[in-house]
Amino acid sequence: MNLAICLLLQDDHEITIEELETRYNTSVTKGLTSTFASQVLERDGPNELKPPKGTPEYVKFARQLAGGLQCLMWVAAVICFIAFGIEVARGNVTAFDNLYLAITLISVVVVTGCFGYYQEFKSTNIIASFKNLVPQQAIVIRDGQKNQINAHQLVVGDLVEIKGGDRVPADIRIISGQACKVDNSSLTGESEPQSKTPECTHENPLETKNIAFFSTTCLEGVATGVIINTGDRTIIGRIASLASGVGNEKTPIAIEIEHFVDIIAGLAIFFGFTFFVVAMFIGYAFLEAMIFFMAIVVAYVPEGLLATVTVCLSLTAKRLARKNCVVKNLEAVETLGSTSVICSDKTGTLTQNRMTVAHLWFDNHVHAADTTEDQSGQSFDQSSETWRSLARVASLCNRATFRPDQEGVPIPKRLVVGDASETALLKFTELTVGNIMDYRNRFKKVVEVPFNSTNKFQLSIHELEDPLDLRYLLVMKGAPERILERCSTILIKGQELPLDEQWSEAFQTAYMDLGGLGERVLGFCHIYLNEKEFPRGYAFDPDEMNFTTSGLCFAGLISMIDPPRATVPDAVMKCRTAGIRVVMVTGDHPITARAIAANVGIISEGSETVEDIAQRKRIPVEQVNKRDARACVISGGQLKDMSSEELDDALRNHPEMVFARTSPQQKLIIVESCQRLGSIVAVTGDGVNDSPALKKADIGVAMGIAGSDAAKNAADMILLDDNFASIVTGVEQGRLIFDNLKKSIAYTLTKNIPELTPYLIYITVSVPLPLGCITILFIELATDIFPSVSLAYEKAESDIMHLKPRNPRQHRLVNEALAVYSYFQIGRCSFAGFTDYFTAMAQEGWYPLLCVGLRSQWENVHLQDVQDSYGQEWTFSQRLYQEYTCYTVFFVSIEICQISDVLIRKTRRLSVFQQGFFRSVKTHPKHASLGIMYLNSTQLVQWWFVPVPYGILIFVYDEIRKLGVRRYPGSWWDQELYY
Amino acid sequence: MAKDGEKSGWKEYIWNPRTREFLGRTASSWGLILLFYLVFYIFLAGLFTLTMYVMLQTLDDHKPTWQDRLSTPGMVIRPKTDETYEIVYNVENTESWDMYAQALDKFLAPYNNSVQAEKNNECVPDQYFLQEDSGDVKNNPKRSCQFNRTILDLCSGINDRYYGYQDGKPCIIIKLNRVIGMLPSKDGQAPFVTCGAKKEDSDKIGELLYFPPNGTFNLMYYPYYGKKAQVNYSQPLVAVKFLNITANQDVNIECRINANNIPIGSDRDKFSGRVSFKLRINTIN
Repeated sequence: MNLAICLLLQDDHEITIEELETRYNTSVTKGLTSTFASQVLERDGPNELKPPKGTPEYVKFARQLAGGLQCLMWVAAVICFIAFGIEVARGNVTAFDNLYLAITLISVVVVTGCFGYYQEFKSTNIIASFKNLVPQQAIVIRDGQKNQINAHQLVVGDLVEIKGGDRVPADIRIISGQACKVDNSSLTGESEPQSKTPECTHENPLETKNIAFFSTTCLEGVATGVIINTGDRTIIGRIASLASGVGNEKTPIAIEIEHFVDIIAGLAIFFGFTFFVVAMFIGYAFLEAMIFFMAIVVAYVPEGLLATVTVCLSLTAKRLARKNCVVKNLEAVETLGSTSVICSDKTGTLTQNRMTVAHLWFDNHVHAADTTEDQSGQSFDQSSETWRSLARVASLCNRATFRPDQEGVPIPKRLVVGDASETALLKFTELTVGNIMDYRNRFKKVVEVPFNSTNKFQLSIHELEDPLDLRYLLVMKGAPERILERCSTILIKGQELPLDEQWSEAFQTAYMDLGGLGERVLGFCHIYLNEKEFPRGYAFDPDEMNFTTSGLCFAGLISMIDPPRATVPDAVMKCRTAGIRVVMVTGDHPITARAIAANVGIISEGSETVEDIAQRKRIPVEQVNKRDARACVISGGQLKDMSSEELDDALRNHPEMVFARTSPQQKLIIVESCQRLGSIVAVTGDGVNDSPALKKADIGVAMGIAGSDAAKNAADMILLDDNFASIVTGVEQGRLIFDNLKKSIAYTLTKNIPELTPYLIYITVSVPLPLGCITILFIELATDIFPSVSLAYEKAESDIMHLKPRNPRQHRLVNEALAVYSYFQIGRCSFAGFTDYFTAMAQEGWYPLLCVGLRSQWENVHLQDVQDSYGQEWTFSQRLYQEYTCYTVFFVSIEICQISDVLIRKTRRLSVFQQGFFRSVKTHPKHASLGIMYLNSTQLVQWWFVPVPYGILIFVYDEIRKLGVRRYPGSWWDQELYY
Repeated sequence: MAKDGEKSGWKEYIWNPRTREFLGRTASSWGLILLFYLVFYIFLAGLFTLTMYVMLQTLDDHKPTWQDRLSTPGMVIRPKTDETYEIVYNVENTESWDMYAQALDKFLAPYNNSVQAEKNNECVPDQYFLQEDSGDVKNNPKRSCQFNRTILDLCSGINDRYYGYQDGKPCIIIKLNRVIGMLPSKDGQAPFVTCGAKKEDSDKIGELLYFPPNGTFNLMYYPYYGKKAQVNYSQPLVAVKFLNITANQDVNIECRINANNIPIGSDRDKFSGRVSFKLRINTIN
């Protein structure tokens, strides 16, 4: 543990206070002087964790410009420039086409680069905005004056005060303290509060009691201390910088896209080079051959693809952000979709992080209270007299109060001063009885004995509401067994009955039942004090307890739990159907953990653990076949003793796992074990110590509310509402985007063949060029972006949450079937283009057979009287104009086919009629753009109709394909033609 | 280690002896998929051929469906050098102009009176030679009018074998591109060609002589009915003889057609309804 070693060098906790004062030039009474403090601030920098050093902005931008495809386009642009230079030197006027092309290519690279950079920039900004959400304040003593300043202004040597509820603003050597307890869980993972005292108790600074660490929380008490480390030099800072050193693994989609780009670039160069050689062989000049090479690269590279993918991902990220998932890394959206295991925290993620009354036991019945967040659930029967007494005890024997000025806030959301169970009771009674503050005023409190750990109860004595009734009422709550000891009667249906064996047994059963649910149970009792013995004005002494505290009347039990969020059971169920395992990893007690797990469905009904089976069959635990137990609860203590193979085994054998009492370090072990089993793991976390697990996980999910900055930094995704259900939404969106990206890419790829073939035919058969480079770029970047992005809005074809998670090694984004189907089958719309091209040529006077081999005459700038098939003579400009018409015609053909294409790509399996034709409205910009562009030529309208049969053919063919795929799953047809 | 695995993975991908797979497919799998694509592409090729055939059936043999690109016919000059529209030669150097004379000889050979008399008819001048089809009955083949070489007179090369090149008075022959059905006219009369120098050269061009007189394209040569119907069509020509052009200097000349019903071509097309060229005659004297 090199961390400990470097810490050992520091002895700030061992030296005396006087030495400390001299070392930091401070005083433990007056603190630093302001001037000296500002000097130190200048020297050390502000007291904040520096975000992990990112790559410089220009490098990020340059990286956007230097991807695989971009490099190809740069090469193409350079070739264009060279060609332009040479042609101009030769005095060729048409050479400007090359210049325009080069400029277009460069702007394409730069614009898509800017776009990608902007996207990246934006997502980094989201993270940055989190940090400044709440500037932390700290109380510091400087020049002998107490001031409140921003915590990042603190410097080494500052004398600071912390009190219960504060976050410790830096590493502090405690000088004086009163009952100060600190929650170190964000640092060490131990949830047990640690008391902090001025004495040095251990030579290791991590163990000693006189140092409080940055970013831990002070739970109770007050302390003063001298700051010994600030900012990145704090223990947390060092851990954070260690964590940021761990490289992020590449996301599956990044790998997919890289893989795909490599293939495309390779093929482009291969094709380009082949035709370069062919062209040289046929006898073209070197320059011409180079231009062919460039044109083939331009035609083959899907320029719009990266933009499409980025847009699709960021659209989904935006959609997720609306559902409270902020995605830091765009590509993480898709990773989420391939998730097969979710390791989830309990508190706050699966549960509401709020103690709530769950059950009541009175009148010998267990009544369930409404634990939903919005109080939409069923309430219980409140007509019984016993309930009235119980409610009165619960309302009066409670020290918690609402913070003022919260009239408008719904009761469950109001802020309360008091501990968790009192808060729960206060809210519960406020909801059931109403206006507790007023109620309490009516029963004037005379005296109270607060809860302490020796007597384990709390009592208070009140005057009665009725001024004529001069009795005092004593109310008491506490640990049920202690309460029962003091009771001699029990209230049943308003009747006080003697508390005999039978009732005791009933009480025990109820207590065990509620305890078994993982709930915290409290008992309640009361007694009317005899007015003779305790007349008005009697001096009750809380310390002496000079009043009746036994022979009380038992009113009932109330049990509380941090209830699961309402949406969680559904979400867990969804995960289950989606083939995703949910593993609970919590620091809580195993019984509570198990109860919640059973409650939300992580342990399903009827699943048993090894212990359950043992108990049922009455055999020792060792004899149970472990494979029979679906569920398994492993505590941190057991985990410590397990080897990694045993853990793997446990994970493999028990589909329903709960890890309780685990430390954040153990979380990392669990994640690694899941990954060894080949799962894609999503992990939720909030503490600093979770960051290694978050980094290690395929997708780390940090909690937006409870999460520490370090966790947020390490995570790929942040849940703004800390809700588990949001992860499931994320998974659903991730799966959807994977499907839709597939469609989008298939659509984008399809047109590469009709873009490429004109060049191939042009080079080999020497027809006048049917489709120009600029037109290709226009298709790629203008008309086809909208439809391909529109596919990202496509609804899921089937219930994607009923499928197993995709296996990243088998189900790839771009697989062979997709590429082959797009290229060789739907790519046949090049036939449509050529039909239309030859039609347009023939109708203007150039028969197809004449076109073959016409190229050299056609492109000769000095030939002004080339004869067409009818004997008419054409000047060069007239021929050029005709060539442009051909581009347009070919373009229109591709577009017509692409309209058909976008329709067929809406589904991969279902018929388009089943999916609904125009569900994604965004298809339409395309039709509009088609209409506007080329209306200037009258006969063009009829050329629009030439490719229509091919469009219909594509549509019909694909419907047949889908029909075959649906009808005969697993057949040859399905295997070869389903992508 | 990993590299080896990768290598054998590749090898296995190309030929897997265990499953007898070549590039991930067995022979029967390859056969099936190739058969599928064969059928698929035969079908597509058939469809393509069919559409091409149907399309060709819809075309008229004698007149293209659209002629909008040719509303302004192009103009060209002869003799023409390989690449550019420049006629540069040295009077004293026979070799420098001999090729022009030969090019013109070759170009004018089909216009020899004997050839014309053999193939073409004498027509009534100054009126269009219309040979309309009567309904579906095609009036083919269509006759063509004679354009005798002698019409070009001094530029015919009959009397002056070198077209005046040898004494610095060269002939340039201008033709209007053929366009089916075009009926050019200037106020009901025959359209004519005028040549002039570009601005700064206007004092260098000297006197011009047009053959036939006034540089007209006689109406009887129009309309053109296409090479299939009017096999022996002789395109009318206009010759321009430069009588005393300034020697030893570049002279930029532009000739244009004068007709009412030929729209002025776009600025970008330097050869629609006009033609520009450079003439430079070098001489010691």
